[in-house]
Amino acid sequence: MPLEPNTQKRLRLVAACFFVPSALLAAGAVVASADNMSSAAVAALAIFGLLAILATNLDVEMVSRVAVSGVAMIFVASLVVFEHYGVIAGPAIVGALGALDLSHVRRREWYKVVINGSADAVALLAAAALFASLPISSHPATLWIVFGATISALTYSVVNSVLVAVPVSVATDEPYLSALRDTVSFSIGSFPFAMLGLGLGWVYLEFGAAVVPLLVVPIMIARRTFSSYLELQASQEQTIETLILALEAKDPYTSGHARRVAMFAEYVGEELGFGPRRMERLRYAALMHDIGKLIVPNQLLNKPGRLTEAEFERVKRHEPVSVELLRRIDFLAPVAGDTTTEAAEAAVKGDAALIEPAIIHVADAFDAMTSTRSYRRALSQETAFSELRNGAGTQFNTQAVDALIHAIERRGEVYGDGHEVDEHEWAVAPPEAGTGSAGLGDLVPEEQAAGA
Amino acid sequence: MNRWARVLVLFGGGAAVALGAELAQPGTRWSALALIGGAIAAGELIVLRPPYREAVPISFAFMVVLARRATVGEAALVLVVALLATFLVRNEPSTVEGRLALFVERFVEGMAAVLVYRGAQEMFGLPMSRAQVLTALALAAVAPLAVAEVARMVRQRELSVPLHGRTADVALVTSATLMAVSDLGVEGRGGMGLWGPVVFTIPLLAAWYSYEHLEIIRRTYDQTIHALGAAPELGGMVREGHAERVADLCAAIATELGFSRHELEQLETAALLHHLGQVCIDEPDDGRAPEPVAIAQAGAAVLRGTRLLAPSGDIIAAETMPFREKISTRPSVMSGQILKVASAFDELCEGRPDRAGGALEALHSCPGYLYDTRVLAALEVVLDRRGLLEDTDSRVSR
Repeated sequence: MPLEPNTQKRLRLVAACFFVPSALLAAGAVVASADNMSSAAVAALAIFGLLAILATNLDVEMVSRVAVSGVAMIFVASLVVFEHYGVIAGPAIVGALGALDLSHVRRREWYKVVINGSADAVALLAAAALFASLPISSHPATLWIVFGATISALTYSVVNSVLVAVPVSVATDEPYLSALRDTVSFSIGSFPFAMLGLGLGWVYLEFGAAVVPLLVVPIMIARRTFSSYLELQASQEQTIETLILALEAKDPYTSGHARRVAMFAEYVGEELGFGPRRMERLRYAALMHDIGKLIVPNQLLNKPGRLTEAEFERVKRHEPVSVELLRRIDFLAPVAGDTTTEAAEAAVKGDAALIEPAIIHVADAFDAMTSTRSYRRALSQETAFSELRNGAGTQFNTQAVDALIHAIERRGEVYGDGHEVDEHEWAVAPPEAGTGSAGLGDLVPEEQAAGA
Repeated sequence: MNRWARVLVLFGGGAAVALGAELAQPGTRWSALALIGGAIAAGELIVLRPPYREAVPISFAFMVVLARRATVGEAALVLVVALLATFLVRNEPSTVEGRLALFVERFVEGMAAVLVYRGAQEMFGLPMSRAQVLTALALAAVAPLAVAEVARMVRQRELSVPLHGRTADVALVTSATLMAVSDLGVEGRGGMGLWGPVVFTIPLLAAWYSYEHLEIIRRTYDQTIHALGAAPELGGMVREGHAERVADLCAAIATELGFSRHELEQLETAALLHHLGQVCIDEPDDGRAPEPVAIAQAGAAVLRGTRLLAPSGDIIAAETMPFREKISTRPSVMSGQILKVASAFDELCEGRPDRAGGALEALHSCPGYLYDTRVLAALEVVLDRRGLLEDTDSRVSR
């Protein structure tokens, strides 16, 4: 997403502030390293510089905080290699080259390249200086080198996080400390790959560049496989969502219901601090929560007014069918819910193993109340909130209710009567209030509903 | 006990034995061998599952490290103990016979790595150059994979080596070679000791993580399609198991007709979802069943709205086409004819295999314009192979 012009201007200023001191430091380091710049060191510089550019352009985030960070690996490897050659400027140059992200270059976002390059160069310079000062040459045991590289990699991570948090804070308008927390947690996620860099550096020094592919190939395979997973996940999610929406179209009144329930469920999940995997499952389960409705004939779904008892029974059958279908999907089975009274009570009281079915129940009820149905027009958001609060602890899980109301109020969003996105055209106008608000029962006395 | 607890128990067991050996006799080579044994035992439970390829455990990589460190006798002992520990702890395969067969297979695979490395060492002579060490280790890494491939062919009784999912093999061979090289070094240089195998397991674990996610998302998608396909059955609109049986039969007929894996998958999906349209259309007021053409068109329209399922939507639409109409090379047309035959066959059988012969006769007796004779012939071959036509001859002759 392109940044605001004002933010871009501030980031350019940050880039200038970063560039001048880091360029001076790097120049000093180059002068200090000039005597040790052998042909082997120049070759290493070319190889690791190229690897850093490749890694930057091939990085892929595996989960929210763990990346297949080829860049971290190359940087730590360069620390090991250039410590051996006595070229303190080597890692800084590799770090600067590692900032050449082609997507930034193509969009001419040079300030990003300068900020990243400067931060990496300075952080690696600090790490290299520390590595060089450790008494490793007098203790050439494996454990000492592992220790030295670990301390240096940590130094790189800390300095880099401290520096990068500045532009992150500027770009996101977040307080500096909050941005710092994010950058530190990302660095921690890259740490396994940083340690792999130690191995790469070792392999390079001991066996030469020819052995490097033995390490790079499996990493490339892992990365390619993970990219395939991400692509497949995106296209399958789109397919399932489109499919659900198309099937949902059999009931024009609930059009968009599944997507909204998934959205509200995600709001709650976010409030409760769900991780990405759990969030993905919650969203998927919410999207599929009414899948059993497929077995209900269209005529019943679209019937204006009240259903007969037999019709109501037939409609009610969709709930166990939804649970049964969700249970057939391993990923969703744990959150498929249960139609027994005991299970429903446990979910409401928060005694169930997982809160997801209770969250979906609350999200479903909220959307049902704030949407127009064949039997009733949409209620106002205040009424829906009040119904949820009244039912909290008896009909709805209190934690889920509080989280949903808090999330919606925090976002300043309004749903319900007068705020519906989908326009409805009806042959028989639904009453303004009535029965069946997602199992809430009558909201107004039956005689009043009939008269509405 | 979940998988990671098992992995920890097995590796921890190896580490405990290593510690015991070290305390009993400081500097003994058995402490390193015990650690490698623990890694082999634990690595048996961490398997790479690339699509369309049998799973391979990362223990194969540790077997190569063992091959370089141990003599043949030592390796055999380490393998037996490590694999026995896994045999006792693992819960898959579910039967004791299955776990025992896997124990034997893994032992042979481990010994193959050891013997190939020793053979290469004999051939090259000591000391080996860097290139020779790398070659010997790469061959040792290929050996267990080759044995596993032969075992698969024997199990599945087919003589073919599919190329799908071989990236896992490449990741294993490169990582195993690097792990063993970094362990003891080459030409007296670069030995990291067991730190090497530890560090260079990271790319393998990253590959495992990626394959695992890919597998989960594929399985979830498949199960979602199966669940959607079951919806009309749970609603009492279709006979129970119809979609699954038709999908199975379609796959068999399409294989008989030489379809590619991709075409086969699209056809199977179409078969699973071919009654989905029934849940989208209004039930006729007079209580009659909806028209098949309307069901197919409604289902096809839904699937065509998605990118991945659009080809299956085309197949469902083609199901209602008389086969002589619009004959073209489009795969969906032929697939549609297979779906039509398989679905009609299952309807005629009423889901009962003992009625296969009669149902086939009924299909053959339909006007030639209805069903593609090539598909009917393939169906006959499939049914015959499954032994479902054995009493047909007598029934027909009666």
